[in-house]
Order: sequence, then C-alpha cells, then structure tokens
Amino acid sequence: MLKIKKNIAISDSGFVFDPGTGDSYTLNPTGLEIIQLIKSGKSYEEILQEMSAKYEMDGESFERYFYDFTSMLKQMRLTENHGED
Amino acid sequence: MTKLIFERPIIQQINAGLPSKYGMSHKLEPISHIDNVSIKSLIESYGSPLFIISESTIRKTYKNAFRAFSSRYPKVQFAWSYKTNYLNAVCNVFHQEGSWAEVVSGFEYDKALKNGVPGDLIIFNGPDKSREDLAKSIKNSSLIHIDHFDELYEIISLTKEIEVKPKVAIRVNMDTGIYPRWDRFGFNYENGEAWDALNRIMANKKLDLLGLHTHIGTYMMSTDAYKIAASKLAELAVRLQQKHGHVLQYIDMGGGFASKNTLKGAYYPGTDTTPSFDDFAEAITSALMSSEIKPDNLPLLILENGRALIDDAGYLAGSVLANKRLADGRRATIIDAGVNILFTAFWYEHDIRPVEPVSEQTEDTTIYGPLCMNIDVIRGNIMFPLLKKGDQYVIKRVGAYNNTQWLQFISMRPNVVLLDANGKPHLIRKNETLETINSQELTPEHLKNFDL
Repeated sequence: MLKIKKNIAISDSGFVFDPGTGDSYTLNPTGLEIIQLIKSGKSYEEILQEMSAKYEMDGESFERYFYDFTSMLKQMRLTENHGED
Repeated sequence: MTKLIFERPIIQQINAGLPSKYGMSHKLEPISHIDNVSIKSLIESYGSPLFIISESTIRKTYKNAFRAFSSRYPKVQFAWSYKTNYLNAVCNVFHQEGSWAEVVSGFEYDKALKNGVPGDLIIFNGPDKSREDLAKSIKNSSLIHIDHFDELYEIISLTKEIEVKPKVAIRVNMDTGIYPRWDRFGFNYENGEAWDALNRIMANKKLDLLGLHTHIGTYMMSTDAYKIAASKLAELAVRLQQKHGHVLQYIDMGGGFASKNTLKGAYYPGTDTTPSFDDFAEAITSALMSSEIKPDNLPLLILENGRALIDDAGYLAGSVLANKRLADGRRATIIDAGVNILFTAFWYEHDIRPVEPVSEQTEDTTIYGPLCMNIDVIRGNIMFPLLKKGDQYVIKRVGAYNNTQWLQFISMRPNVVLLDANGKPHLIRKNETLETINSQELTPEHLKNFDL
C-alpha cells in the first residue's frame, strides 16, 4: 500500500513541505483530497469509491489520473520507500 | 444531488528560482475561433491536423506593410516571395493586392506564369537558373537578377540566339554590420566585384540593366542593416550615373524582415522585439531619400518580403494523441503534427494554445510530434495546460515556409483550408493519400511478388 512519508507536512490549503529536502509543493484541490485519503490509509478502491460519489467522472480516466499523480509523488520522493512495500 | 466537476489531481514543486522580472504569465488563453470560424468545426470537416490560412489577415498585413512604405516613398512595389508559401490561392491573394512574383527556380517561375502573372512582372532570383529557364525569362522580358559571372556570360551568349534584350539587375552582397554575413549570393560590394559586374554589363550593351538587388539576410531584427544596405546600393546607382550616364529604374531591397515568432533561445518574445513595418520602412526610405540620387531619378523601390507578410495568417490545428511521463517525471504530450509538416519548429518557440478552455493548472511539458524519431519535438519545455487525449490545440504563426518546406515523411501532408473574407472555408490543397505517393513509384516486374 502507498504511504506518504510521516514527516511530510500538508496544510489544509494544499501546501506541502518536505523537511528532509527543504522542498515545497502545491496541490490542486483534488490533489489535496486524494493525498489526504492516501494518508488516512485508504486503498485505491476506497478512494475511487469516495471520489466517484462526489465528482462527475468515469473510473477509467480516474485510474489514469490517479496513477499519474501517485507516480509524481514517488518521483518527488514524498512516499515511503518510494512507495514500495 | 449534482456531482462536482472533476479536475485531475496534480502536485507541483515550488521553485524559488530567478523568474523574469516582468513576471510573464504562464496562462495560455485558448483560441477557439479563427476569423469567427470555430476551429473544432473545421477539424470535424477537414480532418486533423489541418492548416488554416486567414485571407483577411493576409490582406490586412499586406496593406499595413504597403502603407508603411508608400507613405514614405513615392514609388513602391511588392513582389511576393514564392518560396515562402507557393500555394496558388495564397499567391493569388497577394497578386490581387498588387504584388508581382519573386521566384527562385524554374518550377516557381512556371507556377507564377500559370497563376497568370505577366512574364515582365516576374523577378527571377537565385543561383539556379538553367539555360532553358534563362531563355524563357528573356523572351518573357522578366527581371533577371544575376547571381554570378557564369550566369552573366550565359545570358550574354543567349543574346546571340534571342532577339529580345534581356532585362537584368545584379544581386549585391555586402557588410551591413550583421552576423552572419551573407556573401554566397550575388556580387560583393566591398571588394569591388559588384562594381566590376556593373561595368561589364554596361560595356556589353546587349543587356538592359534595370536595377540593383540585395537580400541581406533572413529574420532580421535590426533595421540599421537595411539602412546601410540601401545607402550602399544608392551609392552604386549614383556611380553608374556619373560614369555611364545610366539611370537605374529600380532598387530591390529583398526581404528578410522578421515575423513576430519567437526564435529559439530568445529571452523576450518576438511580439515584443520584432521591428514594425514602419521601422523597416523608415530605415530604408530615409537612406534612399537622403542619398545623392537626384530627386527626379529616384528609382522604384521593390520589396520581396515573404515571412513577415504571411506568418501571422497561418494556423496549424490538430489533436492530442497521448500523454506520458518522461524518466525525470516531466510531462510529455504527443500531438498529431510533427516537424515533418511544421518545419519551423526547428527555429521557433511556436505559440501553441488549447482550442477549448481546460483547467487553470499548467505543468512543465514537452510537446512531441507523432513521428517515431527523437528529433520530433514541437516545444522543448512549455508551461502547458493538461490537455487529454483527443483535446484540440492550435499553433499560431505558421504561414511562412511550412507549406513549402514540409516533408512527406512517415505520414502524409494534411489538408490546407483558406478562410475567405466572410469566414467561408475553401479547401486549397488536398491531403495526400497512399495513392498520391504510390502514383510516383514504379516497381520492376521481378519485384512485384514475394512469398513469405
């Protein structure tokens, strides 16, 4: 399961700070929502369910966007062990 | 309960780098219409990708350029540079506006004749004129701009066979203070070769020397260079009159004015840095007016601009094929137009926009064409909105050189549509098909069959 590093600070307005590197990032509102769901330990299926209840979207595009988003989180080294279990 | 609109999730690093002090905006306004015609509907009717040319933009740009010169100088003539865009419909818009034709090969010469341009209003430039081309242009009383001594002697030898006196000018190259210096075309001014050529033509008496021509470079951002060039040509004209009593009918300043496209590596966008037609006109006409040429003998001023007159009128619209991530996490967007049809992507940071409004979010993106070739890059890095597969884009200012230098490589050249003054689309060049390509090929009998 994908886990966000514990020391990463995420503000309610979508500002992300990595104290390990000093780098900061911004999230758009859906990015913030998804990162918080990941942080709360939800699986992909649960996240998909929650998001599709709230937003007008199809599962196929969501899957594409979700994995593109999480690959960016890995790329930016914001996930534990680069996201591997 | 109605659901909310979903925007794809994104995360972006905040870079505390050195932004431009003017803080140029990253937001790219969509362009949905050209001359009030929806780009989406044009793509639906004519396919993707598609070149779209605006006739009213051509006419407006022409009038603007011509006014800049004619309001400063008594006798001005434009000659349409065929190599910049020789689609017949485009050429004829310029001819309707009053342009003569400027051609640089036998093929372009025949194209101009076939479009209905009278032979004596065709300027024949360039280093490649065959004996047959020269004979034809002498008979048609075209204006032959001599590039080298071999050509001069070819014309002299043709005067023994043809009754008509050839109308000629020489092309002059010179130092105008710019780099690179173009010295491969014509006769050099500084080393005296141009003066030598003029004296030989005057001594021969079988040629009718009408003018002087120069073309100092391409995509010129400096108006001073034109001022220097015009002064040097004027000086040659004055010397000709002093020594031979010969009055030249015209001075042809060539073309080379920059368009508003941004060159690769430029710090500021071309829209901010390119001199206006008025700036170029002021430099050239003031040099001629203040020269020693007597007011009664002021020659006709000919200009052969191509790029600056047509670039703005051309658009290339198409669709996104796919998105992917590069090894470093950067976004890559693949579109259906490659460098094979957008040759100018090698020189310019083309202005590419979404056709419809998409999210406010942008990401550092590389835009690739569809070719299976590493060089097929339309924009190296651009803050670009997140277009999805199937979304449409439009690229501005592609009217110059693309419809002439495009290649049939890997895929076919697409349709070209002209929007007339009322916004009505006219197909002016059909897309190529497999049959177009195969019709030119011949397969030997023994290679027609094979077993696999």
